[in-house]
Amino acid sequence: MKIRRASLAVALFATGALVLSACANTPQDEPDGGSSASAGAGGGTLTVAETNQFSSFNPNTSNGNVDINSKITTYPTRAWFNYVDGSSFAAGDPKVQKDESFGTYEVVSEDPFSVKYTVNEGVTWSDGEPVDADDLVFAWAVQSGHYNSESGDVTYFDYAGDSTTLGLTDFPEIGEDGRSITLNYSAPAADWEVAFAAEAPAHVVAKKAGLADGQALLDLLEAQADVAPTATADNAELRAVADFWNTGYDSTVLPSDPELYLSSGPYIVSDVVENQSVTLVPNEKYTGDLKAQLDTIIMRTIPDATAAVQALGNGEVDVISPQSSADTLTALKALDGVTLHQGDQLAYDHIDLTFNNGGPFDPATYGGDAAKAQKVREAFLKTIPRQQILDAIITPQKDDAQILNSQLFVPAQASYEDSVAANGSADYPGEPDVEGAKQLLAEAGVTSPTVRVLYNVNNPNRVNAYTLIAASATQAGFVIDDQGDAAWGSRLSDGTYDAAIFGWINSGIGVAGVPQIFSTTGGGNYNGYSNSKVDELAAKLVVTLDTDQQAQIQEEIDPLIFADAYGLPLFQSVGLDAVGDRVSGIDDYNPNQAGVWWNVWEWTVND
Amino acid sequence: MTSYVLRRLGVSLLILLGASFLVYQLVALSGDPLQEFRESTRPNKEALMAQRTALLNLDVPAPVRYFLWLGGAVKCVIPGQCDLGVTLQGQPVTQALGSAIPSTLQLVAAATVLAIVVGIAIGIVTALRQYSALDYGVTFLTFLFFSLPVFWVAVLLKEFGAIRFNDFLADPSVPITTVVVVGLVSGLVWALIIGGDLRRRLITFAVAAVAAGGVLWYLGATQWFRYPGLGPALVAVTGVGIAIGLSALIAGSQNRRALYASLVTVALALVAMFALRPLLDRATFPLILLLGVLAVGAGVLVGYLFGGYDRRQSMRVAGLTSFLVAGLVMLDRFMIAWPSYFTQVRGRPIATIGSETPGLGGDFWVSGLDKYTHLVLPTLALMLISLASYTRYSRASMLEVMGQDYVRTARAKGLPERVVVVRHAFRNALIPLATIVAYDIGGLLGGAVITENVFSFKGMGALFINGLSHQDPNPVMGTFLVVGITAVVFNLLADLAYSALDPRVRVKA
Repeated sequence: MKIRRASLAVALFATGALVLSACANTPQDEPDGGSSASAGAGGGTLTVAETNQFSSFNPNTSNGNVDINSKITTYPTRAWFNYVDGSSFAAGDPKVQKDESFGTYEVVSEDPFSVKYTVNEGVTWSDGEPVDADDLVFAWAVQSGHYNSESGDVTYFDYAGDSTTLGLTDFPEIGEDGRSITLNYSAPAADWEVAFAAEAPAHVVAKKAGLADGQALLDLLEAQADVAPTATADNAELRAVADFWNTGYDSTVLPSDPELYLSSGPYIVSDVVENQSVTLVPNEKYTGDLKAQLDTIIMRTIPDATAAVQALGNGEVDVISPQSSADTLTALKALDGVTLHQGDQLAYDHIDLTFNNGGPFDPATYGGDAAKAQKVREAFLKTIPRQQILDAIITPQKDDAQILNSQLFVPAQASYEDSVAANGSADYPGEPDVEGAKQLLAEAGVTSPTVRVLYNVNNPNRVNAYTLIAASATQAGFVIDDQGDAAWGSRLSDGTYDAAIFGWINSGIGVAGVPQIFSTTGGGNYNGYSNSKVDELAAKLVVTLDTDQQAQIQEEIDPLIFADAYGLPLFQSVGLDAVGDRVSGIDDYNPNQAGVWWNVWEWTVND
Repeated sequence: MTSYVLRRLGVSLLILLGASFLVYQLVALSGDPLQEFRESTRPNKEALMAQRTALLNLDVPAPVRYFLWLGGAVKCVIPGQCDLGVTLQGQPVTQALGSAIPSTLQLVAAATVLAIVVGIAIGIVTALRQYSALDYGVTFLTFLFFSLPVFWVAVLLKEFGAIRFNDFLADPSVPITTVVVVGLVSGLVWALIIGGDLRRRLITFAVAAVAAGGVLWYLGATQWFRYPGLGPALVAVTGVGIAIGLSALIAGSQNRRALYASLVTVALALVAMFALRPLLDRATFPLILLLGVLAVGAGVLVGYLFGGYDRRQSMRVAGLTSFLVAGLVMLDRFMIAWPSYFTQVRGRPIATIGSETPGLGGDFWVSGLDKYTHLVLPTLALMLISLASYTRYSRASMLEVMGQDYVRTARAKGLPERVVVVRHAFRNALIPLATIVAYDIGGLLGGAVITENVFSFKGMGALFINGLSHQDPNPVMGTFLVVGITAVVFNLLADLAYSALDPRVRVKA
């Protein structure tokens, strides 16, 4: 029995060895890279990881207004007169670059302000239809909000962008060549250069809305231009146009009708895998200068930061832009062959004091004694340990992080240094001044005022900041009432708090955000701040065309806000992207909504 | 019986209504749907807030809003009328569910089936070797896996199963230390499983260690990992092994006809392997399905022709053998496609995210490989953590059955141990497991929220978590509805199946 078993084992082993020697697939001729790799100059495939899922070929409606939709649609597939230079943020001078291979624009006159846009001859959509006046006028129609009735009864285009700038214009003059339009503004508009942007092809919108062609749409828009602002009922044809534009482009898969994803830019969408990926290939009909250099760009949706880092490590994706955190950073630094780009986001955290709620910072509490309220505000701001907050939240992610010392500028901007030197932020250094605060409270004759502090209890950074502020302010004699709330956002404008810690997210370029926050009537003025000088300057700012003058006006506003003890900026959030070494063309962190996509035509891979 | 079922369904409906109301309120309370606009400095933020408010009816209090949703949801009883609302991006929820459910099933189905099969097998083996080192070892391991958080297991699996393994594939030579370690571990495991006296264990240990280490060394030396394959020889040897093992287990080694029948099917499969090669090169999924059915059919036919006093047993053994050997032939064909797939994914075959490589061109075999390389890690992660409950339940259930009088009677009348275990004990031990499996299938559609998130799978779990994080109630409610209904239905089915399987608990109605 034993012998039998042993011999069986030997036999099995022998057969095993024999069999194994016969089993391997002999290396055949090495398959030549399959279909994806291409040997020619340039070419190749680049895969970019993004957080959100692609859902619409129209990123400008309120449904489609998700960053990924504009990353896919706007940058690779829409040529335009200009684009925001994503590398200019790192250089401290956010600006737009012109693309004169698409067309040109010039300020025809400064007063009255008017701009002429001309598309070059021979610029076409990917179906061969030229890009011309009907496309420009349709873009204007959507972005100006001109066709929505003034009474608010009739709304056509569900446009998610800002129409205040183009709202200052009338129906454009169409040039003789049929490729140019002139926009006449009723007042100068500071943000004119970025207000007018590419839109969906007019001839497709016209066709899908039952009109004959782009010209028919142009005629309809012209005919309705005068009556629409005062209309009380829908125009059926325009309603059809708007309805198609509002929802017709929403699709989580590749539409069966190629007209829904036409391109005038260097790339065109060739495939969409629902919720997972979008594939872009070069647009054969593109004739401009911003030529596609890759064979394929693939966007893959990866919501989880750790998953994105590991996918990068595994070579499945080449570019990731995860949410920055100390853990993500450590994981990324451990990877070989990856370049990290860190930068400041356009978002910054700040603490604001409430001026109009009968609380400790409101003059009304002290019988209208503004000086007394001012002292209490100053005392509170003096206790805020900004350096400690920075060290706790930002320094672990970015070694050279600095406290933000201006409400209007960020350190990368040239004006930041000048403004900080004179804006009064020196009164509030990073370290808290508890003694000074006590003294100010004593001068004001106020003892242990209660301060209700509102913050987002679900955001660990805000909780951290709150804890540090509360500890420091308590030392100075303030009584801190913890109003941390998950529904903090809905409470912002109701005055049930005396100080709020939250973040602003800037749109990146342009100055329209300033009156939003600091004007008495601004939509983002939650704390009842009112200073007639600031109102006046802010109103002047948005009609100033010259960027140097804009900076100068902002430098005037900045110290006024500090002098009023409005609140304090805390820090800028850290932004991050990581790029595999086979990729070139992505050199800086771009904080605006385009992310890495702003120069998609410059991307190349070298294998 | 009918009244019992109707009563259960009625109660379930009420539970669903109550639960959906609760879930809706919880989602509504979970955060502020307008938050993304509140921090914005865009001049038109008020208009954006108004648009969002209109879309989600935020001006209506949440308890009342629920009934707006319910009004659309009840229409689902009429086919084609279902209205579960739209997502924030304007996609109808029914459509989103339609694409999420298959994706989830793809992810979870394989893991569940594997966990059930492997879990029950381990449970039975540990029950038969109660209080042995094997029993304790397996118990320790399954509980270890059970208590690991899945996101952590996933990260480890990705690091070692994907990133490091792909690095290894770039230069697939096996270092001698790995050979030794793998050999020793394999020897240990086999010695524990086979058991016996010390001498026998030592022999098992030695044989298994040398075999495993040797095979691994050989595979490394011949670049097998780069150009894998089975070849007819290995298919034949493994097939014969399967045939002997299955006929011994199911029919008993004295049943020669079953053994011969299954050996003949192995021979047939080898012939088919060559005959079908040109056909397989142009394979499609329906063709493979058809071939699979044909293989089982052929096996059963062979078993039938061999006949004998217990024809059904031969048919069963031969059919199963045929199916498994056909699987081996498939595996070999997949391995032939491997080098081509390997170059197409730039030498990084094992994936860490998603369910497929976008833009991958290739035939059935290459795209099939792509599916496997994407599914292998999430399936492994899910399987490891759900293995524990199955091993525990099946072990306990088997132990209970083995201690019963009729098992002693069966032994007393002289039945071989194999028959006692396989035919008398094992079948009865499976009855309580039916309930657990049904519950698990109920939970299956809910998706593995965390696993889907970590592996970027876009199934039900992703739909749920995405909706929740954007305070978008409609997709969350849609997911809840699907999961809730499946859970309720499968609980009912479990109860009915139990009474069908076990006459002792049959409802008297």
